[in-house]
Amino acid sequence: MRKFAFAESGEGFVPPSTADFNLPPVFGDNEFTTKPILLVLFSVIVISVFFIISSRKALVVPNKLQFAGESVYAFVRNSIGEEIIGHEFMRFVPFLFTLFTFIITNNIFGIVPLLQFPAMSHVSFPYVLAIFSFIVFHYVGIKKQGLGKYLKGIAFMPGVPKFVYILLTPIEIATFFLVRPLTLSLRLFANMFAGHLLLLVFIMGGDHMLKGVIGLKLIAPFAFAFGIGMTFFEFMVQCLQAYIFTLLTALFIAGALADEH
Amino acid sequence: MGRGNEEGAMWSIFGYLLSGLIIWGGIGWALDNWLDKNFFLLGGLLLGAGSSLYLTWLRFGRN
Amino acid sequence: MEGTLNLVGYGLSAIGPAIATGMIFAAYISGVARQPEARSVLQPIAFLGFALAEALALFGLVLAFVL
Repeated sequence: MRKFAFAESGEGFVPPSTADFNLPPVFGDNEFTTKPILLVLFSVIVISVFFIISSRKALVVPNKLQFAGESVYAFVRNSIGEEIIGHEFMRFVPFLFTLFTFIITNNIFGIVPLLQFPAMSHVSFPYVLAIFSFIVFHYVGIKKQGLGKYLKGIAFMPGVPKFVYILLTPIEIATFFLVRPLTLSLRLFANMFAGHLLLLVFIMGGDHMLKGVIGLKLIAPFAFAFGIGMTFFEFMVQCLQAYIFTLLTALFIAGALADEH
Repeated sequence: MGRGNEEGAMWSIFGYLLSGLIIWGGIGWALDNWLDKNFFLLGGLLLGAGSSLYLTWLRFGRN
Repeated sequence: MEGTLNLVGYGLSAIGPAIATGMIFAAYISGVARQPEARSVLQPIAFLGFALAEALALFGLVLAFVL
């Protein structure tokens, strides 16, 4: 079979891997001043300043910045808080709002030109957010129903005939204590990791192809065009993942608050 | 004036958060460089975050 | 042919979530087709189901790289 000419310039291309996610420290040698940590701190500053500026001098007929801030808040409060949690939702709106804006800002930093790194693609950040959600929804359930009754309600679901408990109890315990926080965090991490990796593949691949044979040089613009398309797709996935994380946290809280009669 | 009070309160909470992180993080980082370990920065940042949240609660959360 | 077994595993594991996503959105489309006013009620449910199915696909992709 004829060997194609551009198969030989394949050496020298190192495809992006997990090593591309280990960014070096910025200030000196200290391991705790790497780019993701600085990006997370910067995102906190951006969110705070945006919402402070959009809500000062609040007019009755809002101007554009105030409308933007208010629509984000109204989105979290109404369609995630009120619809899902029900009539005690105002207690949880600060937590849900913080989760939503923190995740969406850090995700969007993955496609902003100079800051191109989504902090959530390092697995520790989603773990911490999932631990917070875990603590909140268990605390809410324990405070509402008492510790023993809450645990009994998890392990032995009411309304089922007794012999099914042998099958159901291990599944329920594993779901509530292991699977929920794990999938919550890993879903966010996997989406951000995969998206960043895809962008790296297209852009680094296109860049490598530009240095190759003339046949590859002609194909490189398609790689870059696909990279642009993937950036838009990535934007949609990032917003969706922030929404899903907050929605699932609200669902878990609503499940813990629900009365069993 | 109520409106000015609210805006001043928001900026001062923001300032407490930032300054707690910067000051205690800075102390932790300086200790790191002086003693050549690498966990003082983390401890300083956590201490700064915790103390600024506590200060916010002290000033604005108790009625 | 080079490569690892990770790729074969990832390819096989991507069948399930692809079918699941198709079924979820097929149900959403037929629900909206029967009753267009139900669109905003069904939309959060559709996206929730899609994200839950997609999570498994992405576990496969990430583990193919990491392991």
